[in-house]
Amino acid sequence: MGDYVIETNQLTKLYVGNKGCQDITIQVPKGNVYGFLGPNGAGKSTFVRTLLGLIKSTSGTGTILGHPISSLESRKKVGYLPELFRYPDWMTGRQLLQFHSEMCQLNSKQQKVRIEELLDLVGLHNRGDERISGYSKGMQQRIGIACALVSDPEVIFLDEPTSALDPIGRKEVRELIRDLQMKGKTIFLNSHLLSEVETICNHVAIINKGRLIVQGDWRELSSIETQVEITLSGIENLSFGSMSEMVLDSEKIRTEKSKESWRLTLKEEESIPELISALTAQQGKLYQLVRQTQNLEDIFMYWINRQEEAEHVANR
Amino acid sequence: MWPIARLTIKEIIYKRVFLVIFLMSLALLIFYGIGTYYAQGQVANMNRGPMGALAQGFMSTQFYGMGLYFAAFITSLLAIFSSVGSISKEIESRQIDPMMARPISRASFVMGRFVGLSILMVSYSAFLFLGITAVNQFLGNQLKVVVSMSQILQAGSLFVLQSIIIVAVALFFSTRWSTLNSGIVLIMLYVTSMLGGFIEQLGGITEIKQMLNFGIVTSLLFPVDTIFRTMTISLFESADDPISMATQGIFGSASAPSTGMLIYIGLYGVVALLFAIRSFQKRDL
Repeated sequence: MGDYVIETNQLTKLYVGNKGCQDITIQVPKGNVYGFLGPNGAGKSTFVRTLLGLIKSTSGTGTILGHPISSLESRKKVGYLPELFRYPDWMTGRQLLQFHSEMCQLNSKQQKVRIEELLDLVGLHNRGDERISGYSKGMQQRIGIACALVSDPEVIFLDEPTSALDPIGRKEVRELIRDLQMKGKTIFLNSHLLSEVETICNHVAIINKGRLIVQGDWRELSSIETQVEITLSGIENLSFGSMSEMVLDSEKIRTEKSKESWRLTLKEEESIPELISALTAQQGKLYQLVRQTQNLEDIFMYWINRQEEAEHVANR
Repeated sequence: MWPIARLTIKEIIYKRVFLVIFLMSLALLIFYGIGTYYAQGQVANMNRGPMGALAQGFMSTQFYGMGLYFAAFITSLLAIFSSVGSISKEIESRQIDPMMARPISRASFVMGRFVGLSILMVSYSAFLFLGITAVNQFLGNQLKVVVSMSQILQAGSLFVLQSIIIVAVALFFSTRWSTLNSGIVLIMLYVTSMLGGFIEQLGGITEIKQMLNFGIVTSLLFPVDTIFRTMTISLFESADDPISMATQGIFGSASAPSTGMLIYIGLYGVVALLFAIRSFQKRDL
């Protein structure tokens, strides 16, 4: 199994009209929160459902915890909260958890302990004996999360886990995900909510139009461009045109008295000291230089645009 | 398999579907009992003429056969309606996703559904069969059909077999088509089977080969009516009796299905179930 709990090699599921997901190769490191990002309809849920054996792959291979995705073993230590979750609404929350414990072959003693733990964990301890049909959407999502955790899984697939929750509920789920990670669990988080992924994920994969665009450590992905914000004075008619080998893009943000603030996109990290030298050589007074960290939205758009540009060029 | 079988049983019990059906069936048995009670009084008066014995025989088997026929009809409809959506509805609503993401094979899921539904249907059809039989035996007097315990057991087994075959076929359809489509196709098959059964019986009496062949084809297509006819033969001991139509009316059987047909019926159910498993294993959820 190595260090990766989920590995796929060109995993493909294509529907009529070539929709679905294509040639997805990913490695999910153990003990991480892995964000699987993409716009609606990008193929995220199709990929997860293929991994879980709910739909058959068209081609490619994949393993979960070292077992091929089509095998029952691959699902033994896996929990899953589907995106469009629906549970038998004639059941009570407790009955639902009991049913899933039976499916996971927990004995009756283990079932009792686990069900109480989980109802406590998702804040439904006093509502466990109510029918699911009487639950609010948020409560249904909580019982869904409890259900996903019944077998004390090593890998947990959460497909849009906070979509029906209010801000407090979202915060609680984020905390729950962090707690699970602390316990060594691997969480595969499917989401189109960038802020959510940005807050809790260590690793991110971006998918668009069924194809994987990029994956990797979030910190590494965030350094796709070196961007700095500088505040300086003392240079008249400041222009970065003469520094085109190190400054790729420049944008004036504001002017306060004699001070000008600029946001600069540099060629590489090494361009920062070169930029400082060039500015001081022009007698500029540098008041501030702040390296900008790109948020996930920037990264997401950067990669999406890059793919679309590449497709545009290829189609010309 | 067992958690799915238990879920299937619990679902129907919790939704109170079965309770309502049980109460309605009880009402049906009460009406049938009242009808039988008053009819047997009239038959006692008819029994004085020269044709009395024949008329009594006709009325008794007709009453009992009619009761069983409509009991079989209700049981079959219940088997159809409780089974056709048991997989397709789960797929349509995506309720199946969290279940199938568990370490449970698709064959186990289908078997679990089959076992759960079969337990319910066997219980219900046994209740209805015994209810109709009890009415005939204890309230029938002049309409009572003399049957031994072994005949009741044999006929009862065939009676419950009808719903098991329907469940197996319904599960197969449910793995392939939507609930609505499966329901329509299955009801059409059932009606075709009933129609074929009547035509075959008439063909047997009139000795019209084409009518007999039509019945045989429909029996091969969906052998539920054949099971019913076999049951009446075992109950009324009327196999290949030339006057059976006269004594049993249209609910009886004028010609007994061959042993080959009985083996075919058994294989039909097994193959339908295997097809259901295979079809469910191959499909996307």
